[in-house]
Amino acid sequence: MRGVVWYIERDFLRWVRGKVAVFSALVMPAAWLIFVGLALPIRFTDNYLDFITPGILVMTMLSAGLSGGTLLMFDKILGFLPKFLALPSPREDILFGKILFVSLRGLIQATIILVIAVLIGASVYSPLQYGLTYLILFLFGVLLSAFATTLALYLEDHDSFAAVNTMISMPLFFTSSALMPYTVMPDWLRILAMANPLSYAIDAIRAVNAGALPLSQIASLAVLGIVVTGISVQVFRRVTI
Amino acid sequence: MNVVETRDLTRYYGTLCAVSHLTLSVGHEIFALLGPNGSGKTTTVLMLTTMLRPTEGTATVCGHDVVREGEQVRRCLSYVPQDMAVDIKLTGRENALLYARLYGIAAPKDRVDELLAVMQLSLRADDLVKTYSGGMRRRLELVQALVHEPEVLFLDEPTLGLDVAARATIWEHITALKKGGMTIFVTTHYMDEADRFCDRVGIISKGTLLALDSPQSLKDCLGNDVITASIDGTFRDPRVDGVTLFAYANDEASFLAENGREALVLLADGFARAGVRVRSLSLREPTLDDVFLHTVGKPDEPAGFDQTKFRTMLRRRA
Repeated sequence: MRGVVWYIERDFLRWVRGKVAVFSALVMPAAWLIFVGLALPIRFTDNYLDFITPGILVMTMLSAGLSGGTLLMFDKILGFLPKFLALPSPREDILFGKILFVSLRGLIQATIILVIAVLIGASVYSPLQYGLTYLILFLFGVLLSAFATTLALYLEDHDSFAAVNTMISMPLFFTSSALMPYTVMPDWLRILAMANPLSYAIDAIRAVNAGALPLSQIASLAVLGIVVTGISVQVFRRVTI
Repeated sequence: MNVVETRDLTRYYGTLCAVSHLTLSVGHEIFALLGPNGSGKTTTVLMLTTMLRPTEGTATVCGHDVVREGEQVRRCLSYVPQDMAVDIKLTGRENALLYARLYGIAAPKDRVDELLAVMQLSLRADDLVKTYSGGMRRRLELVQALVHEPEVLFLDEPTLGLDVAARATIWEHITALKKGGMTIFVTTHYMDEADRFCDRVGIISKGTLLALDSPQSLKDCLGNDVITASIDGTFRDPRVDGVTLFAYANDEASFLAENGREALVLLADGFARAGVRVRSLSLREPTLDDVFLHTVGKPDEPAGFDQTKFRTMLRRRA
């Protein structure tokens, strides 16, 4: 398992030396927070910013998690993956490295989004509430990055991964409970939103903010995460070029 | 025991047969798999390095089966693919350290320092790889591959895209490694390099191994002198006794002859009779290129450029 650390170190160094990429990933969620969170005329709540912040945090993790696939895709196209696969160290280390790196990177990005939200008027919660929020975001990040990384193994090139990426992320975001509560949704959207794993994470964070402990949602995210990661490990062990 | 041993190794991609019933054994030597692009060289290396499952047949590396004992196989080999995959945003030292650590070397820093010195990269070790030349990047890849002292080193087109000096340096290192006890398995399509540096070569075309021997014996097999004729206009085989045409490409026809000096005269006469205009004739010793053309390339039917056929083809596309 020690290989995981070195794979993470490699990705981390490449990320922080990339300069532009460090900020570019923050632009989209920050824009949502400011332009939608502050501007949308909403009747169902007094503080829409508080309502939408969990959604934006999960959105940040969503794009962070999917970027695990992009990273692996480039490793594959540029010929790093064959070299890693030819190493005697366990192949699942490559997977765990990507999962942990993009999830932790997502948490760093989520922290910045959280700070921006508070600066423009979102409520401040207790350390325990933030701790639980981070736990939920992390579980969600693991689920998404394991899925995206494994998917990238099977797709031919970066274009098809980018297409799948867009195809997944936008509908997933809009059919979740990120933008509005279930009560104001049309019926058909409510059904979709309730089945959407994005909603589990968003609802869980909202529950935490309201002072509850959303055990069922946390448990379902954890179980989903473990199942998807387990399948991914098997795939990585058997992968051929 | 041989280091690399294959028996009827075969790989299909769908219905396309990339490697067909390849049987060879490689001992402690520099072995080159020679072949044109798409002949199955890389597929063979991928199977031997456990990254591709053979459709049929078996292969062992250092006595371990490549399908069943993947991890043991990977422990005794290193693989350098043709893509030059080094992280340009990391320094040379960081790139090498990553591999030393992934291999679980006891003293990774010392080992990396030592190898960077061998590959003459010490002075630039802490610069970003972005600033490295192609030859330096290739040497850095060798550092990465050598950190765990593999028994066998697989190099896929190690000199592709490098200048003459860088290519010579790479081959110096490869030769030194072999002297140090390592088995080197390279693929290349540079005949001159295979001729000069490799102990044995296997010529592969369309997935089939056509010849397997030392470069010298392969050349001796041709046995004769090679005459090259530079042709002006249409080419026809003059059919002179004791002279055989074995390749024709780019207005250049190559012949094998028992006695070169005599054949030159006969050939010149033959061309004159056949009405073929010849710009020059030259006589030389056979090279590995000739062996290759002789084994792989059947002489193409000399056909002129067919204007009508070409137009029809273009029209069909539009």
